[in-house]
Amino acid sequence: MPGNRTRKSCTTAVVLALCAVLAGCSDTDESSRAGGEVVLRYTWWGNPDRAAKTQAAVDLFEERNPGIDVQTSFTGYEAYKQKLATQAAGGDAPDVMQLDYRMIDQYATGGVLLDLSEQQQVLKTSELEPGLLATGKVDGKQYAVPQGRGTETMVYDTEQWKAAGLEQPRVGWTWSEWADAMRTVAERTGEPGGTDPGQSEDAFEVWLRGQGRTLYTADRQLGFTADDLTRWWTFTDELRREGAVSPAEQTTQLDGSVENTPLGRGKAASDVNWDAPASGYLALVPTGISLAPMPAGEDGTPGQYFKPSMFMGVAADSGHPEESAKLVDFMLNDKDAAKILGATRGIPVNESIREDIAADLKDFDKTIYDYQATVEGKLDAPPQAPPSGDTALQTTFMRDYDQVSYERMSPREAAENYITEAKAELRS
Amino acid sequence: MTTAQMPKAAPAPEAAAVRKPPRRRREGAAWVFLSPWVLGACVLTLLPMAVSLYLSFTDYDLFNSPNWVGLRNYTQMFTEDPRYWRSVVATLTYVVIAVPLQLALALIVALALKNMKRGKGFYRSAFYAPSLLGASMSIALVWRAIFNDGGTIDNLFGTGGWVFKPGWALLAVALLTVWQFGAPMVIFLAGLQQIPGELYEAAEVDGAGRWRQFLSITVPMLSPVIFFNLVLQTIQAFQVFTPAFAISAGKGGPADSTLFYTLYLYDRGFVASHMGYASAMAWVLLIVIGVVTAVLFRTSRSWVFYASEGDR
Repeated sequence: MPGNRTRKSCTTAVVLALCAVLAGCSDTDESSRAGGEVVLRYTWWGNPDRAAKTQAAVDLFEERNPGIDVQTSFTGYEAYKQKLATQAAGGDAPDVMQLDYRMIDQYATGGVLLDLSEQQQVLKTSELEPGLLATGKVDGKQYAVPQGRGTETMVYDTEQWKAAGLEQPRVGWTWSEWADAMRTVAERTGEPGGTDPGQSEDAFEVWLRGQGRTLYTADRQLGFTADDLTRWWTFTDELRREGAVSPAEQTTQLDGSVENTPLGRGKAASDVNWDAPASGYLALVPTGISLAPMPAGEDGTPGQYFKPSMFMGVAADSGHPEESAKLVDFMLNDKDAAKILGATRGIPVNESIREDIAADLKDFDKTIYDYQATVEGKLDAPPQAPPSGDTALQTTFMRDYDQVSYERMSPREAAENYITEAKAELRS
Repeated sequence: MTTAQMPKAAPAPEAAAVRKPPRRRREGAAWVFLSPWVLGACVLTLLPMAVSLYLSFTDYDLFNSPNWVGLRNYTQMFTEDPRYWRSVVATLTYVVIAVPLQLALALIVALALKNMKRGKGFYRSAFYAPSLLGASMSIALVWRAIFNDGGTIDNLFGTGGWVFKPGWALLAVALLTVWQFGAPMVIFLAGLQQIPGELYEAAEVDGAGRWRQFLSITVPMLSPVIFFNLVLQTIQAFQVFTPAFAISAGKGGPADSTLFYTLYLYDRGFVASHMGYASAMAWVLLIVIGVVTAVLFRTSRSWVFYASEGDR
């Protein structure tokens, strides 16, 4: 019967089609329990140097916890931000994730993160510096724990700086002294003194705080006006026109990695960056680098601050919250882990570890430690965690400044654009 | 009127009613065979479209459940977002540069291939190859390397990195698209082979030169194919994403000069987490492409020549 055969093959076709569909949505728990082992996913952003240290620490964790297999992955910061947001929205956030200060609010209020106090049996926080620990709290719940503290710095090529006849910048030097130094380097070496800081929201914040203002107000609105931003961008734009800081073609290539900064490319003598990632310059600047404090306001008001750098959080829908918390605890509180990690994520927040490892810190970790010691006690308190829209505004800030450095807009026009965009961003 | 007559293959209805199973059962089988496609179309295309239409009226941010905001996304787009307009200008510039250049190149190569005696198959494949590779990330990255600071072009001509010069960067992206002229070329080639040889012979007898023949025979006879390619490539050009994303390292830079519509849409959705806004942008794009296509169809009446209509 031909009709019969048709029906049979129809059934087969339907079954096959359904199999294909079902295969597509097979349960993820399957993959996270391979061979009786608990499999955790742990993601972070950073450079290869940090990756090597992190992997070594994770290997030690796996060795001590035979039942747990940790799958790691890392990318640059910009890519990480996008990937994590997409994963989180799809309910597929990694079990353990590295978070930035600027992400906490969004991820905590969005229900992505686990309240870590639920896991206080495994995750000890008693030795962590209380002020910094509190920065991981949203609405009174501990959604994330800071791994280290960092502060901004002006990294410079030691040899070039000396060749230009400049002295090591002291704590409390001002933005106009900084500008003069940039000009001097440019005159003596023929290359820009440093990265154009106009594109960096972080640098702008330091400048703004030096004038006694803040990026955001307590009620999560902008703490500055178009006039303030116009002054900042006019200041940097003039330096760029003079050739004292990097040209637009260099500045536009910044993507958060040290490799793509003018200093990393050998096209400028300095960069403004966070202290922890600055270790990446060691491989790029053969003659050696030094860390200098950020310039202060003209009356000496410091602008930089100790920022909790790089938090760890656990996904609210992780299948293995306890094991995840265990990994976080290991990364924060274990002495051997601390020795491996050094200051790759900033100086540790765990106070007893910080003292323990101070003597053992080697090479660049020691440089960072010493650098932080020079500004210890001289900085103002950190601002509260920035509002959710801030991650997007960081990018907007860079782009609006692109319009200035490519001379398509005046600093005033670009600043007014930014204020418009920021208000829309913070409203939602 | 030969075109209006449909082939009458179906047997007389009375005879069919006796032998064939009831109509409903026949349709049932058809649906079963169609089911993989229908399922895919519904679940992977129609449903997401409906959801995105809904989201375009909300403030969905990936993390929190969406709240209805009415037309706010749309009004913000048109009145409060200077970058949106820059992305519109960049996209239109790109469409106007890339599409005509690509079609012209496709036509020239097709004409050259048409009269080729030997190796036609080889060259056709060779010219088509970039279209197969072109949409990929890897080619776009190679392109970025070629036009980068210290890249091939910079070394050869001392132009500096096009990728970081507003104006030139857009051209670099457009050139990548133009280079992928394979698909329209193959269609042109097929169209050219449909033009009856007698027309050219007759023209030659009348003393028409090659240029004259091209203008008076090739172009009008080919106009339906040109039109088809124009519509297709225009629609594609509006949606260009991968090359711009790779060449500008995801930023649409320098100074937003390659911030194409889709790139900005991606930026709003996945970088800034404004999925509602991004959905609204997607719907505006859909409507604009629809309008542009309709306009092209409208103008086609005055320049597209269908041979079959010539009989009337």
